[in-house]
Amino acid sequence: MKKNWLVALITLLAVSVIVAGCGSKNNNSGSNAASGGDNKTVKVWFMGTSESVEPIAKMYEEKNPGVKVDVQAIPWDSAHDKLLTAVASKNGPDVIQMGTTWIPEFASAGALLDMAPYIEKYPELKTENFFDGAIQTTQYDGVTVGIPWYVETRGLFYRTDLLAEVGYPEGPKTWDELKDAGKKLAARGEGNYMMPVDAKDQNYLSMFAWQAGSDVIGSDRKPQFNQPEYVEAMNFLNSLYKENLVPPTDLDTVTGFKDGTVPMFISGPWMIQAVKEQNPEIDGKWTVKTLPANKNNKSLMGGSDLSIFKYSKNPEGAAKFIAYLSSEEAQLKFYETSNSLPALKTAWENEQFSDPMIAAFGKQLESAIPTPMVKEWEEVSQASVAAFERITVGGADVQAEMDALNEEANGILGN
Amino acid sequence: MKQHANSWHKYKYPYLFIAPAILLLTVFSILPIIIALVISFTDMDLLGLADFSNINGAGFTNYLGLFKDPVFIKSIVNTGIYVIIGVPLVILFSMAAALLLNYGTSWLFNTFRVVYYLPSITNIVAVAVVWGYLYNSRYGLFNYILSWFGVPGQAWLQDPTLAKLSLIMMAVWKAIGLNMIIFLAALQGIPRSYYEAAEIDGATGWKKLRYITIPLLSFATFFVTITTLIGWIQFFEEPLVMTKGGPLNATMSMALFIYNNGFKLSDFGYAASGSFVLFIIIIIATIVQFLVKRKEVEY
Amino acid sequence: MALKRFEKGFMIFLLVAGGLLMMIPFIWMLGSSFKPENEFTIVPPTIIPNHPTFKNYVDLFAKMDFMVYLKNTLIIVLCSFVGLFLNALAGYAFAKFEFPGKNKFFYLILATMMIPGQVTMIPTYLIINKLGLVNTMAGIVLPGLVGAFGIFLFRQFMSTIPTDLMEAARLDGAGELRIFFQLIMPIVKPVFAVQGILTFIGAWNSFLWPLIIANDERLYTLSVGLSLLKGQYASKFGLQMAGAAFMVVPIIIVFSFFQKHIIEGYTISGMK
Repeated sequence: MKKNWLVALITLLAVSVIVAGCGSKNNNSGSNAASGGDNKTVKVWFMGTSESVEPIAKMYEEKNPGVKVDVQAIPWDSAHDKLLTAVASKNGPDVIQMGTTWIPEFASAGALLDMAPYIEKYPELKTENFFDGAIQTTQYDGVTVGIPWYVETRGLFYRTDLLAEVGYPEGPKTWDELKDAGKKLAARGEGNYMMPVDAKDQNYLSMFAWQAGSDVIGSDRKPQFNQPEYVEAMNFLNSLYKENLVPPTDLDTVTGFKDGTVPMFISGPWMIQAVKEQNPEIDGKWTVKTLPANKNNKSLMGGSDLSIFKYSKNPEGAAKFIAYLSSEEAQLKFYETSNSLPALKTAWENEQFSDPMIAAFGKQLESAIPTPMVKEWEEVSQASVAAFERITVGGADVQAEMDALNEEANGILGN
Repeated sequence: MKQHANSWHKYKYPYLFIAPAILLLTVFSILPIIIALVISFTDMDLLGLADFSNINGAGFTNYLGLFKDPVFIKSIVNTGIYVIIGVPLVILFSMAAALLLNYGTSWLFNTFRVVYYLPSITNIVAVAVVWGYLYNSRYGLFNYILSWFGVPGQAWLQDPTLAKLSLIMMAVWKAIGLNMIIFLAALQGIPRSYYEAAEIDGATGWKKLRYITIPLLSFATFFVTITTLIGWIQFFEEPLVMTKGGPLNATMSMALFIYNNGFKLSDFGYAASGSFVLFIIIIIATIVQFLVKRKEVEY
Repeated sequence: MALKRFEKGFMIFLLVAGGLLMMIPFIWMLGSSFKPENEFTIVPPTIIPNHPTFKNYVDLFAKMDFMVYLKNTLIIVLCSFVGLFLNALAGYAFAKFEFPGKNKFFYLILATMMIPGQVTMIPTYLIINKLGLVNTMAGIVLPGLVGAFGIFLFRQFMSTIPTDLMEAARLDGAGELRIFFQLIMPIVKPVFAVQGILTFIGAWNSFLWPLIIANDERLYTLSVGLSLLKGQYASKFGLQMAGAAFMVVPIIIVFSFFQKHIIEGYTISGMK
């Protein structure tokens, strides 16, 4: 018995030595990373797993002997926290992948370098190379702080067989057709619906508002929530709830899509793969098209940009690497490793993108726009989601709720 | 001077024993709390984080704003409901489970000790996915079971009142294991001779439980009560992964509110002030516990 | 005697019924980890997969730098056990010694348990940064090394140890450290086992902090690796379930090992 505890004590001491050891050992590599100002190392933060970016980094290293690209993968869920701490300590990478919606927040905090001099220097970075909507995401307050990396947008997934039955084999092209088709689809009987409304997703509401002609937040930072266009969009969405066209929120969309109870849904390109894998039974019975239009058919421009961190010790090397990532070769490779759609327009001329579903997203990208570029957008949009919930779940009056929301948004935006 | 040396000599060991813990906690807990307290009186946001010269004092604006914020008020009420329902359930169930498991020593009891402990160690992501399925209003197991009794399906996570209870149920399930082993460890400390003596006096199972076991568990119960109470006032993970505080903020807890404002909206000053309100509530609750404990007769 | 048998039967019934209820989600997780992706959308859901596959587990290891993450996780686990020992020492001092400021120190420690972790994260990070410990194992481990919960637990249990025992040992000329190691630690073995399990779980699942401190994937832990996968393959339930199941198995082994010590005889006569 006594010996046992002696052993335990020795183990503890040994472990303490290990702790001390690992502390100092890694300290060395830490100071290396921090002082990576040797113009040879480019430190890059990517979201997702590194297997999608590592091959491209290798290609770059081969082309530029002596240069080392150090890729660190960061989980999406925690990336925002990680970025915050990097800003706080002024200790971070050279190149950061930025979710497009984060640009205003981090740009206004001065955490991202102005890209203008590098755009002059590298023709790959010219703004006309990329989709318009994607370029809009890189600009804040007239300064370009990022280069589009990959894009995504939302399209309409629909069951061709079921939509043909209600008279829309090509899918609905306008809001009116959308709702008409939806009513007929829901009328197939108990437990059948039109499409889910992703009311928790602030961008979902914005897309309908844009289509109705609203700016959501004007260029003068004035919110437009109580204006007729935005109200029209909310009324339209609310009517879908009132007429029981929307499935309960916990109905799994992919399952509903397979068994036909939810014959349409609006989502992004990643769902192509998910539907294919989970629902092989309905292959050939579904496709994707651009969103139905009201005044226009604007969709959300999402994806990621690449920025140079303000406190980078190697901005030149960072810019050169970003220029390489914007080349057609790198963009195509990234599509291959991650299925992310290229932001570079010329890349779309390759045959990989002739698949009708992908091409539908390609077409939608031309009319895709980013969320309002104000740094308070996250907070404002959360308020808009809460207001919409009060309408659909709480049964509040649309106009009154939108007046209140507009006032709240004015407060958040400091008007 | 001599007196100092004397008292140092006298108290050398306790001070040496607590020194490492106090040192580490001071640097990595107390100091950050003080920094957070300072932040709570400023308007610090991401801009301020990037460059401290952008931080302005805000006086009590954050604190005043909190009590005008209907979401915050709602989160206080919700947290109160979580605590009032959840904490007694956790204590009751975990004590019951420990008593059951302590009843025998065969392989059956050993196996089930692991079984009861499983929920506590299951990754929260898996828990969220699994319980999401259980609560699903259409395919979920719970509604399926209700249908046997002719009860209509419930919207477990969509109904504002029911959603709170659903989260409590899940959290209790997850919390039983942890507290159960604390009770188990405490039960091991009760000498068999006590029971033997009681049996000679003709005490039945219930009487033994009432007059020997539960009183002798009081020090463990006190620990479990305090830590569970503190934990539940900081109720966070369950609403985060299951409902994000919805529907209509019906499941929003104070800790989730703080997290949303701090990390989602980068409003650090506001979030910090929210957490000090939370801190004060916890301190009051803890002091009350200690006072109640002191009033109880020592065994 | 019949009453006693009835009682035992009833207890076992309760035990098994309660245990099964507790198990449902876990069984589902385990079953799902062997499901092919298209089996998740079957109605009604299957508990035991119709077409079991190991693909999810194969993918899991193929897509993670498994050995690196495992090594880091184990280092964190080992370091946490040092903390366990420090907690025990502090708990012992609070339970069995009188010294000026005892209560103040104790309440100070309790107070650290009461602040939500989210709010101290950035200040703690800034301190670690000032100390130059960003991107080191020390930076990952130190902030969580000791904890109020553990100190409180040790104090609570150790305060039931009769002081006479220690006095007797002192009269025999035993030093304080020796008393702690040879007398106190064996007595509170169950608490060590409990704390050991909790420490292991905490370290095993540590996630956000290692990620924040690490500026290098070589310092990532298993949980961070899993989270990377989750972000990348959000719609792959099977992979996520396999990851979750995989993370739980070592904990079950450790628990089964330690729990014997919780139960193992610990009968100091005259103890309350």
